[in-house]
Amino acid sequence: MRVLTTLVLKEFLLLKRDWHALALLFVMPAFFILLMSLAMRDVFATGRTSTNTFRYYLVNEDTTGFATSIANALGTHAVFQATTQGSAEIRRREILNGSAQFEVVIPLGFTRSLPDSVPLRISVVSGAGVSPPVNELFRASVREAVTSVYLRARVAALNPALSAGGGDFLQMAKVNALLNEETLYESAQLSRRPTSVQQNVPAWLVFAMFFVALPLSTTWLQERNQGSLTKLRSIGLSPVLLLAGKLLPYLLVNMVQVLLMLVIGVWVVPVFGGDALTLGHSPLGLAVIALATGTASVSYGLLIANLVSTTEQATIATGATNLLLGALGGVMVPRSIMPEALQHVSMLSPMSWGLEGFLDILLREGGVRTIAPKAVMLVCFALVSLTLAGFRLQRARTF
Amino acid sequence: MIDVKGVVHRYAGQRAPALAGIDLHVRRGSLFGLLGPNGSGKTTLISILTGILRANSGEVRIDGRSLPQDARSIQRMCSLVPQENAFYPTLTVGENLRFFAGAQEIPSAVIAQRLAESLLITGLENATGIRANRLSGGMKRRLSIAIGLLNHPQLLLLDEPTVGIDPQSRQFLLEAIKKINANGTTVVYCSHYLEEVEFLCDEIAILDHGRVLRQGTLAELTAESRGLALPVPVRTAGLQELFFHLTKTELRDMLL
Repeated sequence: MRVLTTLVLKEFLLLKRDWHALALLFVMPAFFILLMSLAMRDVFATGRTSTNTFRYYLVNEDTTGFATSIANALGTHAVFQATTQGSAEIRRREILNGSAQFEVVIPLGFTRSLPDSVPLRISVVSGAGVSPPVNELFRASVREAVTSVYLRARVAALNPALSAGGGDFLQMAKVNALLNEETLYESAQLSRRPTSVQQNVPAWLVFAMFFVALPLSTTWLQERNQGSLTKLRSIGLSPVLLLAGKLLPYLLVNMVQVLLMLVIGVWVVPVFGGDALTLGHSPLGLAVIALATGTASVSYGLLIANLVSTTEQATIATGATNLLLGALGGVMVPRSIMPEALQHVSMLSPMSWGLEGFLDILLREGGVRTIAPKAVMLVCFALVSLTLAGFRLQRARTF
Repeated sequence: MIDVKGVVHRYAGQRAPALAGIDLHVRRGSLFGLLGPNGSGKTTLISILTGILRANSGEVRIDGRSLPQDARSIQRMCSLVPQENAFYPTLTVGENLRFFAGAQEIPSAVIAQRLAESLLITGLENATGIRANRLSGGMKRRLSIAIGLLNHPQLLLLDEPTVGIDPQSRQFLLEAIKKINANGTTVVYCSHYLEEVEFLCDEIAILDHGRVLRQGTLAELTAESRGLALPVPVRTAGLQELFFHLTKTELRDMLL
């Protein structure tokens, strides 16, 4: 125990002397959390603002009441903002350069042509840069508006008495009442919606936790190349003891990262106008997933350190694999918007296990039981990494 | 002090064994020189003697105890000073010494005394508060040796301790090593510098290709060298003639 304490204290002293690297581990995620939480605030917000609406040109060349009704029905969508003024050339240019996303043209004579076998058609044009889900949403909105107005007109034609009273004789307003829309949370408390900060704090926190692999592997290689590890092995320190001497202090660094990033989410992001992070209802669950993620990240760093030969290799290996695991694990792009096949692949990344565990606690209001499978997977990953690292260390030609 | 019999070691993936049946005897109190070109097996032998590596076969006994069975007790009575500066550059001299003392579980009550002794013999008494990365090359080597002396070793293994240092530091180190040996510590001194071995050692072994080619006192080996047909001209008679006669002059470029 005394030897382990000595190793741990030495590590703290080394970290204290290399405070630049240490500071990077805290500054980098803090910056990302602030930046991304504020930048993506509107994407996650309940009420959309002008920054996440889509402009479309609505050209109603057919001035009959029917075409006007369609135009009015389209105008009720909050996400899509109509612009009615603009020449064909201006419309084309704005759609091409992305300042408008769509154009809907109701042609002259459209209403009159409806009884024809081949009626005139409403033109719907999308910009090439519009994402497929938004494109599909807009087209569905147009179809919904046309269907609603067309249905009303057909019923009125079949039974003029119905429409004589005016108003919403089809009682279309009841359609919305037929739907009960909810967001699913782990607990029964369904009132809270995910915010940008709830998505970004865990994502960049997990990313930063795995980034300890960089300074950890670098210092390990320096010790190996300087002969310190050889000296420590020659005085009988086992690989297990040497690995534990690194694991514990860096795990503490990870825990300080967790605390700091949560503080930033709860108190600092709101200062800059973002939403405050909510911490869920399970401090124990939060502690368990933080410890499991930390153990996995430090063990992963020790494995890298024992697989490579030079600090340059360590820098490249940790940087590249962290980015890959982060991208795959849902740090940069939330898993929920990945294609289904990629979502399955992303579950191979330990960052994904950590991130989903944090999201279970912070977003889905889960508890220890919810995160237990992910915590077990992270600990297993840590054990495998440490075993491989120890095996490599045991067999290494240390001098 | 050291008895090595028929030790063989082959690294994974290597065709030729690093040690191909080494026999070696180092008597207690000796200042023993281990000579050999790159790749001769010196480092592998030291790794085995310090318990870092396990020999594939053969017998290794130090002070009557066997390796690897008694590795822990052997490691407590031995000390290795690796070729590199085996300490932490951002820690001070004092912090490095206290760390390695703690790692060797030297009792807290005697740590201060051990530090003072190690600093005195290596001439670093006035450098305890200086960070190791600010020391000169010679001071760094002396710090490595000071760390090696902390556990009062009965057997001190020095691997190329004078590489890359100025003549004054080198002379100081050689004198210090003589003093350490005179105090009763058995010293195994690995070096490429034949004149250092001639100056220091009372017994010498020449290794090459994983075998001990010769072992004897300096007088025995230099006597053997007389009248040898040498592959290269040498300035003086002695160990150098025998070394080149046994190991030849081909370059020993090796990949690590």
